[in-house]
Amino acid sequence: MRARLLSKHEFHRFLEKLKSQGTLVAPVKEDIVRFKEITDVSAITTEGHPLFPLKKYFSPQKRKIFTYENNNIEEVLPEKQYIMFGARLCDINALLRLDKLFLGDISDRYYQRARANNLIIGLHCEIPPNEMCFCESMGLSDSGYDLLFCDAGENFHIKVGSERGNALVQDLPESDFQPEPIKTEKKLHNTEIAAFFENDAWKKEVEKCLSCGACTTLCPTCLCFDVYDDPDVEMNKGARITEWDSCQYEDFTKVAGGHVFRQAREQRFRHRIFHKIQYYKDQFGEFMCTGCGRCIEGCPTKIDFVEILNGMKQ
Amino acid sequence: MTELPEIATVDDIKQQTTSEYLIRINKGYKHDPGQFFQISLFNIGEAPISICSYDKNYIEMSIRSVGNVTDKLNALQKGDTIGIRGPYGRGYPMHDFKDNNLILIGGGSGVAPLRGVIQYIEKHRDDYKDVHLFFGFREPKEMLFKEDIESYKEKFDVHLTVDHPDDHWKGNVGVITKLLEESRVSNENTIVFLCGPPIMMKFGLQTLEKMGFNRDQVYLSFERQMKCGEKKCGHCMMNGVYVCKEGPVFRYDEVEGLSEKW
Repeated sequence: MRARLLSKHEFHRFLEKLKSQGTLVAPVKEDIVRFKEITDVSAITTEGHPLFPLKKYFSPQKRKIFTYENNNIEEVLPEKQYIMFGARLCDINALLRLDKLFLGDISDRYYQRARANNLIIGLHCEIPPNEMCFCESMGLSDSGYDLLFCDAGENFHIKVGSERGNALVQDLPESDFQPEPIKTEKKLHNTEIAAFFENDAWKKEVEKCLSCGACTTLCPTCLCFDVYDDPDVEMNKGARITEWDSCQYEDFTKVAGGHVFRQAREQRFRHRIFHKIQYYKDQFGEFMCTGCGRCIEGCPTKIDFVEILNGMKQ
Repeated sequence: MTELPEIATVDDIKQQTTSEYLIRINKGYKHDPGQFFQISLFNIGEAPISICSYDKNYIEMSIRSVGNVTDKLNALQKGDTIGIRGPYGRGYPMHDFKDNNLILIGGGSGVAPLRGVIQYIEKHRDDYKDVHLFFGFREPKEMLFKEDIESYKEKFDVHLTVDHPDDHWKGNVGVITKLLEESRVSNENTIVFLCGPPIMMKFGLQTLEKMGFNRDQVYLSFERQMKCGEKKCGHCMMNGVYVCKEGPVFRYDEVEGLSEKW
């Protein structure tokens, strides 16, 4: 399908059209850039990178799996049909990674429903929006979007990724544009990390880790969760909840009787990195990490796993 | 998560020790020995519980009070309801063991899933040759399935030991690995089930190696905090392996290289 051209004068009108078809989510500049549900399309920004990723729209931080009243259970499924505008390729790839976990042999119905009707309008990175970006090393695929907007001064070139996307832009003039692959200054050089499992650098570099879980909260592919009940005060009804959890917390691996399998901070930190760079890849053939850099950007003690791995010697 | 719990009635609940109860649900679930259910009580929460029976008409679970959910489960009365989903995980591939001798080594709560294995063996007795049971408990009063174990003595080669005897205990005292070594059971044509606390499995493996057992003759069962049972919540991951789905039963050579197994 041919790319299309949209004049920036027409941009807001195009966004209005999107908004009329579902719940529009896009980046807005507030104290920081955030993805938000849009009421006023003029608030949308194409600058910068939202600190918090898109995962909350597919499996919210606290989510009711079902409600119960006495012994009757009612499953809770998503109500909104989201249209995402402004997702960068790292965030789009992150959804593709999560799809493999949540739509695999045991599909998660909530996630499945939220993703099924979900429309994704990406925003190409001409230059990386953040100095922590290192997506060039992570083998991102140029897919997963319905449309991809590429800023070209007066106009947007729009790359078409699906029939649904094409239907939105087929009246626009055609363009021959092909986006350049994203180049990042920061790179992860060591991507074969099996030999680094036992390495002194983990302890040394992760000493300042607070086990706060900022990295897992900000990571677009971290979606581990806890399961618990939230009863109504009258105790005859309530909801079973999944809530984002973090492998960085000490009690994450705690079993009955109190034993904790990953007791040391550096073991927990290493586990996350190995999941992102090795375990997931062993299973699905690609990195779970998409190089967005948020876990580095948002770390209160500025631990940089890319530099840690780059510094390790075979 | 995708599987919702169904409501089941507790058809029987029996106290076994000061902290352990046996709960029975008169409903059949197709399962393998070694698999587990997610059992829940509304308002309280959910916990993974291994199956300790093998019967097409009912399931039994031995529950040890170690937290909120299990404390409340053990306070249930006959006729109360629970939420149940599963069975989950990979159990023991009993078919693969046909015509073998079987050695079941259990420590403490680890005896529970092995009781399911024994019930399977009893229903398929001709499929297996000699069956040896090695069970260890901390104290005589912590012994699970006392009556069952008495009946096993008539059918199988049974070895029992406790760490701390009381005045009435006349049997063996000490670690289970010692009994195992002294028994001089043959490693030929034999499959070993090892289920218990990490420390017991660790020493058990050393003893078995000394006795000439290969890694592919030994099956281990791992305990992890499975929150979902569906390879999603991440809690049970052992290196890159989801214990809830790929386990909890593993052949030793499948997990030997995983540093996070203990």
